[in-house]
Amino acid sequence: MSDPNTSSLNPATASESAVTRFFRATEIDTRMLGMVAAIIVVWCVFDIWTSFRINDEGLFGGLFLTPRNLWTLLVQTSPIAIMATGMVLIIIMRQIDLSVGAMLTLIATVAAVLQVQHLAPALGVGHWSIWIIAVLAAIAVGVLVGALNGYLTAYLAIPSFVVTLGGLIAYSKGVAFYISEGVTIAPLDSTFKLLGGNVPSAWMGPQWSWGIALVACVLIVLGIMRGRQERKRVKFALRPLWAEAVLVGLGFIAVLGATYVVNSYPWPPKLIEQYALANNVTIPPGVEDKAGKAVCMAADKVVRCTDGLIYYTGYAIPVLITLAVGLAMTFLATRTQFGRYVYAIGGNPEAAELAGINTKAMTVKVFALMGLLAAISAMVASARLDAATVSLGDLNELYVIAAAVIGGTSLAGGIGTIYGAMLGALLMQSISSGMLLLNLPSPWQNIVVGSFLVIAVFVDQIYRRRVK
Amino acid sequence: MKRTLMTMMAGALMLGVSAVAANAGTVAVSWKTFQEERWKTDEAAIKEVVEAAGHTYVSTDAQGSAQKQAADIEGLIAQKPDVILVVAFDSDAILPSIQKITDAGIKSIAYDVQFEDPNALYITFDNVGVGRLMAKTMLEKGKTEGNFAFIKGDKGDPNATFLFQGIMEVLKENIDAGKIKNVCETFTDGWKPDNAQKNMEQCLTSQNNKIDAVVSENDGMAGGVVAALEAQGLAGSVPVTGQDGDKAALNRVAKGTQLVSVWKDSRVLGKKAAEAAVAMIGGTAMDKLEGVAKFNGGKKGVEMNSILIPPNPITKANLGDVISAGWISKEEACAGAQADVEACK
Amino acid sequence: MAKSAKKSVPARKALRKPASAAKVAKVPEVHDTPSAVVGAQPHKNLRERGTPLIEMRDISIAFGGIKAVDHATVDLYPGEVVGLLGHNGAGKSTLIKVLSGAYKRDAGQIFINGDEVNIDNPRDAKALGIETIYQTLALADNVDAAANLYLGRELKTSFGTLDDVAMEAECRKVMHRLNPNFRRFKEPVSKLSGGQRQSVAIARAIHFNARILIMDEPTAALGPAETAQVGELIKQLKAEGIGIFLISHDLHDVFDLADRVAVMKNGKVVGTAHTSDVSHDDVLGMIIAGKCPPGAIPGPGAMRDAA
Repeated sequence: MSDPNTSSLNPATASESAVTRFFRATEIDTRMLGMVAAIIVVWCVFDIWTSFRINDEGLFGGLFLTPRNLWTLLVQTSPIAIMATGMVLIIIMRQIDLSVGAMLTLIATVAAVLQVQHLAPALGVGHWSIWIIAVLAAIAVGVLVGALNGYLTAYLAIPSFVVTLGGLIAYSKGVAFYISEGVTIAPLDSTFKLLGGNVPSAWMGPQWSWGIALVACVLIVLGIMRGRQERKRVKFALRPLWAEAVLVGLGFIAVLGATYVVNSYPWPPKLIEQYALANNVTIPPGVEDKAGKAVCMAADKVVRCTDGLIYYTGYAIPVLITLAVGLAMTFLATRTQFGRYVYAIGGNPEAAELAGINTKAMTVKVFALMGLLAAISAMVASARLDAATVSLGDLNELYVIAAAVIGGTSLAGGIGTIYGAMLGALLMQSISSGMLLLNLPSPWQNIVVGSFLVIAVFVDQIYRRRVK
Repeated sequence: MKRTLMTMMAGALMLGVSAVAANAGTVAVSWKTFQEERWKTDEAAIKEVVEAAGHTYVSTDAQGSAQKQAADIEGLIAQKPDVILVVAFDSDAILPSIQKITDAGIKSIAYDVQFEDPNALYITFDNVGVGRLMAKTMLEKGKTEGNFAFIKGDKGDPNATFLFQGIMEVLKENIDAGKIKNVCETFTDGWKPDNAQKNMEQCLTSQNNKIDAVVSENDGMAGGVVAALEAQGLAGSVPVTGQDGDKAALNRVAKGTQLVSVWKDSRVLGKKAAEAAVAMIGGTAMDKLEGVAKFNGGKKGVEMNSILIPPNPITKANLGDVISAGWISKEEACAGAQADVEACK
Repeated sequence: MAKSAKKSVPARKALRKPASAAKVAKVPEVHDTPSAVVGAQPHKNLRERGTPLIEMRDISIAFGGIKAVDHATVDLYPGEVVGLLGHNGAGKSTLIKVLSGAYKRDAGQIFINGDEVNIDNPRDAKALGIETIYQTLALADNVDAAANLYLGRELKTSFGTLDDVAMEAECRKVMHRLNPNFRRFKEPVSKLSGGQRQSVAIARAIHFNARILIMDEPTAALGPAETAQVGELIKQLKAEGIGIFLISHDLHDVFDLADRVAVMKNGKVVGTAHTSDVSHDDVLGMIIAGKCPPGAIPGPGAMRDAA
C-alpha cells in the first residue's frame, strides 16, 4: 500500500521543460500572467505612442508610464474594479446583475441627498457625523436593494436577467430621479469627499504608503509560511524553497513597485502653493527649470524638484479601498465556505442543492453582497465627482460585466477569479485613458474598446482550449 | 370610450367657460410629458399670462406617447380653443394633428420643440446661440488666448455638434490668429459628468496642467471638469463654461470655479409664448407679432414664423437674475461664495 | 483495510453523527452476517429480523396530476441490499428522491429504526445518515475532488476558514481506498474520467458514515473493471452493516448484489421478493407485465389475477 500523500507535487518527470516545472512548482496562474503581460504591453505601447507627440518622463519618453498617469489610472479604475469583484461571483453562480449601474446611481443619490439636504441643514455643514451616517445609509440601501434583486431571483424564480433589467430601468431614472428630482446634488460633505481621493487630505503620503507596503510584505511572508506549516501538518510534500522564494519575491516586487510609483507622484504645484499659503510654510527659492518639466513649487516658479518644496501623494484613499475590497473578496471566494458554495452552485446547481446547500439563501446573499459593493463604488464615484447625478452609474453595468469577462469569468458560470476581474477593469481603463492622452478622435476610442473586449475573450478561449 | 368621456368632460368645461366670459378666448396646451420637472415651470408662466388676460387655460398630458398626443389634440380641437400650443413628442408624427388644428381654424404654436408646418408659430430658445454665448462670455470675462480644452457632449446628440459650431464661430478669429490653441477636444459619452472628469484628467496630464480655459458644453460636465481641476489645484484659476442653470453650477459661479452658466429661463419662454397667444386672440397676425422672424433651420427647411428667445449667460455679475427669478434660493446659490459676488452680499 | 480507513475518518466537527458510526459498527454482530447472504440462504421470515432500518410506508407523490409514486411501501434492513427495479418512469427514482430529500412527498410516512422521521430537504436526509449517489453523479464539475467530497460539510480551521489542506489529506485517504490509482487531486472533476468521477461520488456518500446508501444506477457510466470494483465496494459496505437501495437496469447486477428486489410499475409496487426465491424471468415478468410470481410478496401494483 503506497502512501497516498506522496502524490502531491510529484517529482517532475524528465520530459518536463524547465518552464513547466517552474509553473508547476510555484503554482502561478499562467492566465493571470497573460493578463499582466497584456497590461504591460498596452502601457508600453501607449507610452511609446505618446512619446511621438509629447516628450515626457515616461519609461519610453512618453506620458503613460509616468507616476502621475499611473496614479490617476488607479483612481479612475477604482469604481469599476470594486463592482467587478462582486459581478464575478454573480456570474460564477450563473446569474447576472444588470442593475449595478442603476444601483450605483440610486445609492449615490440617497447618500448625497441625505448629507446635503437633510444632515447638513440639521447638524450644520461639515459636522463630523455626517459622513458616517451617509456611509451607513449608502451601505444599508445597497444591501437592501441587492437583497431584493436576490430575493426576486431566488424565491420568486424570476430570471435574474429580467429582475435586474427591471432594476436597470427603475432604480436610476425612476427611484433616484424621484428622490433628487433630477437635479445634480452637490457639493458633498468635505469628509465624505475623501473617499473619492480628489483632494490632498485623501492622499496617504509616502510614510503611510511605505508603512502599508511593509505590512503587505509581512503578510505575504506570513501567508507563505502558514501555507508551509499547513502542508507539514498533513505531511504533504512542500513546495521547493526556491519556488517559495520566487513567490515572495514577486509579491515584494508588486507591492514595493506600486508603492514606489505612487510615492513618486508629487502634489501638483498649485496645491503645494495653496498648502504652503494656508500653513505658513515658506517656499524655498529654487532654480527655475527652463524646460518646465519639473513640478516643484518654488516661490511662484516651477523648479527642479531638488530645489523646491515638494510633497508626494502616496496611495489615494479610493485605491486603498479598492485593494482592501479585492483582498477581502479574494479571501471570501477562496478561503471560506461561502465562496466554495458560490463556485459549487455555478458548477452544478442541482448537485449543490442535493449536497444540502441552501442555494436560494446563497443567491440572496450574493446579490446583497453585490449591492454592498455597488454602495462602496457609489461612494467612491460620487465623492470623486463631488456630486451625485442621475447619470452617474449609466452603462457601468456593461463595463463591470466586461471587466469580469475580460478577466476570465465564464458567462456559462462556475469559472472566474476576483483578481482577474480587477485586472480586466484596469486593462479597460488603461486603454481608454491612453487614448484620451493621445487625444484620438472619440469614435476610434469606442471602436478600440469594443474590439478589445471581443478579442480578449477570443484569446482567452484559445488559451483555455490549449490548456485542455 | 375613454375618448368619449374626455370629449364629454371637455364639453362640460367649455360650457362653464362660455358662461363666465362670452368674449374671452381659450388657450390650450398639449404637453408631451409631465414627467420632467421643468414643464411645470413653463405651465405656471403660461397660465399666469393667459389668466391675467381673462382667457381660459386648458391642457393635456400625452405621457410620452405620440398616439396619446394625437388623441389629446383631437379632444382639444373639440373644445374650440383659439390657440393650441403643442410640445411635440414626435415632431414628424405630430404633423397630421397640426393639419387638423389648422383645418378647424385654430392657430398653433410649436413650443420649444419644432415641427415643420408653415402655419404654425415656432417659439424656442436660440439654441445655436447658446454655443456662441458661451464662447462670447469666455472671451469677454474669461480668457482670450492660451490653451483651450473643449469638453463636448455625447457624439450621438446633434446638439453637441450644434453647440460646438456656435462656439467655434466665435473663437475662430482668435484661433486663426494663433492666440487660442485647441489642445484637447473630446466628446463625452452620455454627457456624463464622471466621463467629463476623466476626459479632463487625461487632458491635464497630457498638457502637464498647461490649460488656460475649458469650454464645457453643459453644467453637469462642467462639474466633472471642475473636480478634475480641483485635484490639480487649478479650480478657480481656469475659467470653465456651462449651460442649463444647474443649481450646483450656479453655486460654482458664485464660488468662482465656473465662469458662466448659460441659462434658458423656462419662465421667459412660457411668458413669451403666452403673450404671443394672447396677442393672436386679440387679432394680431402671426407675422406681425413682437420679435417674430422667419426661420428655416429645421430638417426639411420649411420656412416658419418664429420667435427665438436669447438665453441669459449667468456669471458672477448677474447671479442676482436667477435668485430674483426664484429659480434658486440665495442660500443655495451663495454657499461658500466669493466676496466679490454682488448678489450674495 | 476498509475498517481501518473508516476509523481514520476524522472524528471532528465534520462527523455530524458520531452515534450512527457506533451503531453501524455493531449492526453486523447483532444480525446475521449479511456478507454471507449474497447468493446464499434466503431469509424466509424477514419480519423476524426485527425493526427495519428504514421503512417507507404508503408514499405518494404526484406531479401535475400524474401519480409518479402511488402508495408505495418498501423497507430495508441493516446490511441488506434491496434492488429497486422497473421501467423508466416506473417511479423508482422518484421514490428514492423522496427518501433523499430531493422531492417532498405528498403523503406517507418514513421510519428509521421504527421512529418516524421528517425529510423535507437533502440536509434533513443527510442528518439522518441517508446518502445518495445519483445517476447524474451530482458533482460540482468546476471544483476538485476534495471540494466535492466535503461539499456542504466543509472542514474549517480555527479561524472559520476552509481547511483545504486537511480536506485534501482526508480526500487522499478515502480515494486511495476506493481507487488507489487516483492522482488528480488538484484538478476540477470535469477533467476526470467517468470512473474517477464515480469514485468521487461514492467517496462522498460513504465518507460521512452513512447508515443508508441510495445508489441510482451507480455503474451506468462505467467500464467492466470499474463496475466490478463498485460491486466489491457494495459488498464491503454491506459487511459494515449499511443498508443499500440499489437502482439498476441490469438484472445481472441486481441478482449478484441484492438480497431482495422490489419491482415498481406505474408508480406502484408490483411486489418484493428474495433474489433466491425468484428467477430472472420471474422478475422480468414483474417488470414488464406486473405479474407477481409465487415466490414474491405481491404489492398494490400486482395484476390481480396473477396474484
